[in-house]
Amino acid sequence: MPALNRCWPSISAMVMVLIVPLWARAQADIPTTADRPSHQESAARHQGGAPPEMAPPPLPAGMSLDEVLNYAASPAPAHFPAPVPDDRLYAFTFFEQLEYRAATDATPDHLGWEAQGWIGADFNKFWWKHEGEAVFEGSDQGETETDLLYSRLITPFWNLQAGAQYANEWNSGNYHDRWSAVAAIQGMAPYLFEIDTSLYISEEADVTLALEAEYDLRITQRVVLQPLVAMGFAAQDIAERDLGTGLTDVNLDLRLRYEIKREFAPYIGIRYQFLVGETENIAEKAGADTEQFLVLGGLRLAF
Amino acid sequence: MADNVRPRPPAAMTRRHFLATTGSAALATYLTLTRPVGAAGPGPALAGEFGELDATAASGIDLYLERRPLLVGGRPGSAITINGSIPGPVIRMQEGGEALIRVHNRLSESTSIHWHGILLPFTMDGVPGVSFPGIPAGDTFTYRFPVRQNGTYWYHSHTGLQEQLGHYGQLIIDPARPDPVEYDVEHSIVLSDWTFEEPHRVLWKLKTMEGYYNFQRPTLANIDDQMEATGMSFGEVMGKRLAWNRMRMDPTDIADITGATYTFLLNGKAAHENPTFLASAGQRVRLRIVNASTMTFYDIRIPGLPMMVVQADGQNIKPVETDELRIAVAETYDVVVTLPDDRAYTLFAETMDRSGYARGTLAPYLGMDAALPEPRQRPMLTMADMGMMHSGMEGMESNGQDDMHQKMAMGNQDHTKERPHQTGGELPTENLPPRIQHGPAEHGPASITMARTASRRLDYPGAGLGSDGWRVLTYGQLRALERPPGRRPPTRQFDLHLTGNMHKYIWGFDGKKWSESDLIRFQYGERLRINMINDTMMSHPIHLHGMWMDLYAGGNLHDNPRKHTVIVQPAELLTVDITVDAPGQWAFHCHLLYHMEAGMFRTVAVVRSLEGGPIHARS
Repeated sequence: MPALNRCWPSISAMVMVLIVPLWARAQADIPTTADRPSHQESAARHQGGAPPEMAPPPLPAGMSLDEVLNYAASPAPAHFPAPVPDDRLYAFTFFEQLEYRAATDATPDHLGWEAQGWIGADFNKFWWKHEGEAVFEGSDQGETETDLLYSRLITPFWNLQAGAQYANEWNSGNYHDRWSAVAAIQGMAPYLFEIDTSLYISEEADVTLALEAEYDLRITQRVVLQPLVAMGFAAQDIAERDLGTGLTDVNLDLRLRYEIKREFAPYIGIRYQFLVGETENIAEKAGADTEQFLVLGGLRLAF
Repeated sequence: MADNVRPRPPAAMTRRHFLATTGSAALATYLTLTRPVGAAGPGPALAGEFGELDATAASGIDLYLERRPLLVGGRPGSAITINGSIPGPVIRMQEGGEALIRVHNRLSESTSIHWHGILLPFTMDGVPGVSFPGIPAGDTFTYRFPVRQNGTYWYHSHTGLQEQLGHYGQLIIDPARPDPVEYDVEHSIVLSDWTFEEPHRVLWKLKTMEGYYNFQRPTLANIDDQMEATGMSFGEVMGKRLAWNRMRMDPTDIADITGATYTFLLNGKAAHENPTFLASAGQRVRLRIVNASTMTFYDIRIPGLPMMVVQADGQNIKPVETDELRIAVAETYDVVVTLPDDRAYTLFAETMDRSGYARGTLAPYLGMDAALPEPRQRPMLTMADMGMMHSGMEGMESNGQDDMHQKMAMGNQDHTKERPHQTGGELPTENLPPRIQHGPAEHGPASITMARTASRRLDYPGAGLGSDGWRVLTYGQLRALERPPGRRPPTRQFDLHLTGNMHKYIWGFDGKKWSESDLIRFQYGERLRINMINDTMMSHPIHLHGMWMDLYAGGNLHDNPRKHTVIVQPAELLTVDITVDAPGQWAFHCHLLYHMEAGMFRTVAVVRSLEGGPIHARS
């Protein structure tokens, strides 16, 4: 024991050296940017003196040093253009799905599309989202949803959006439509998942939520497999839309595209869509299908 | 080394020598291109047929800017030509003379020429919106300024994205005193990047589709390659990839615009056109290299020939022998090489992301060529590029040398602890703090702040370099040949964060674009320090107009080099000191053209006093 006591200090020193992580020591001594001035702060604190002896500065013809220094203390003259047009407006249109959906059961095939786009500068945009499907054989039926949104980039990866949705559906002479207020969060989550979550409050004060998540799995530089999950929720039963409270429906998509160009990519895919919970019960009672398997073929376009 | 700093014959002789050795073809082009227009025959002319003009000659020179069809790499394109060519003519000046340049704008839009790295009255600096309103279509603007320096520089448009279309050229100023660099023959090397796309379309793609031009991304198909290249197991590779995905970052995001659209040019010629530079065995050949690219960093080497680097950004440095050097956009380097025999040597300029290369040949006769080196694996960013240098393995992976430097710097740190908030006193000029921790500020949605700690990376040659078994130039090796005038300790400093949101393609400083910013005020006569902290995962070439930046390269007041453009690497803390001796307003920006256009730009106002409130960039 005495021997151990004697070497205790050196053991503890060794432990200190070995175990105390390097970074901990480093962090303690590292200055942090929070303690240091930015240029405005630095300028405000500065107590300037007379300039030391210097070689004569290069001055524009016909201007004195005083004139140049006075000139420099104001923004550029009004007739100067901006040196960089960094707040230009851009526009983007993106057909993520523009596809033929072939049913594997007796229901008719249909066309489906999902597009969005925006016009705006870096932080503030007018953003639209439009999706729909239409059957062209047999009875004329289809539905569309159009969201018109103000979008604001609130963090590097996330947009906060608000606006209105117009939704309609038609089925051999019957036509229904509705307006809803929308609040949405759209962006990229950790692990590169593209997420779009929208909360809707309809004219009848029905509250629903739509969530869509997708991921690009790059197989080669141009071949991309994209799984997609879309889910609907309702906060209450909505009889006229055949929706029950809770999770209402799920789409599971898988698309395999070939990027001839980033903005021009044909694809094939599959979709399994099914109803859930109370919504499923409602459909079953009405004798309607509660699930469907579709084969997809289409084009992904951006311009 | 001492041999290299002996005087050489007078400049005029070298100039004649230059014309003679580049051959009668060059002379013929020189003669035709000094004529204003219509010099080309039927069909589009070839890019890369440019001459040389003397701007300090008594009568001055005329430059004619025109949009015209040119064959670039053999393919027809539409370029902004200067006197009929891209690049524009090499412009010579004599130190001590007065430059007189009449720029005739025959474009259908406004234009400008900025003299990159030249100290001049701010109204002659050629930045629309800062030094003047620009040169309207159809107008002529006369640049006139005294030439008070020497070395290798360049010039280019500062208007919109015109530079992408060929609006640039080399500028050489012959010294008034004997040149300390000894050489027998010299050649101009102008590297650039060219796209057949409309540049605004390119910017639109960057703004709307992240990673549009990156075809070297991690994919399922290249897991194998990555395992082989890094020696990691499948599990380690996947773990690493997931870590990057978690951060929503792409470790292969080395260049925003790549060989997917670019043709890489050397003197306006594509690699297959193989521009040849004549030099015979034993001759000392001075290569004046400028990177006139908009977005492309090049790694330059001449397999089989060591390069003696004698000048950086037009400033003589203590000669350093090396085998490869990385030249950022807008930097210049002069190197001297000596051919040991009458064989051909390949001048190989590989892009930093390895998506392509420009190339030329050094040979005693035309028509010779040498083997092309094997292209290398594209580099991937490491945790070190996120400022995670202390996390054991990953720091080691980046570069052993760097790690050494870190440790050495750490040792110094204890007795050179920085005193923050210094404003009155003199700031230290040696052994600056090796790293700094990022504060809580996130700089808003325009910044994806990656590096929690920024470190000095002066001895790190950059992503993809340093492990080939040959020497690579680093900033830590740059030392001024003579102590530049005006060197004294700075008395004021501030931190400047380089920020960006690569996801949305927004770039700026401290999270702000130019249009959201205030002028950065320098006080006339002060000696100012700027600590640049790169919060992003890209290297940015930062350029200050009108004044030198004295780069803290690990040396001291006597020998730290002067630069007009400095690379700030990912997660790097880089310090420059500035003698504020040029009154007026100046541009200060990232020289990646599309970053600048996206807002990574500031107006610097050199004023009498810093009292009073901030001045917003937009009145």
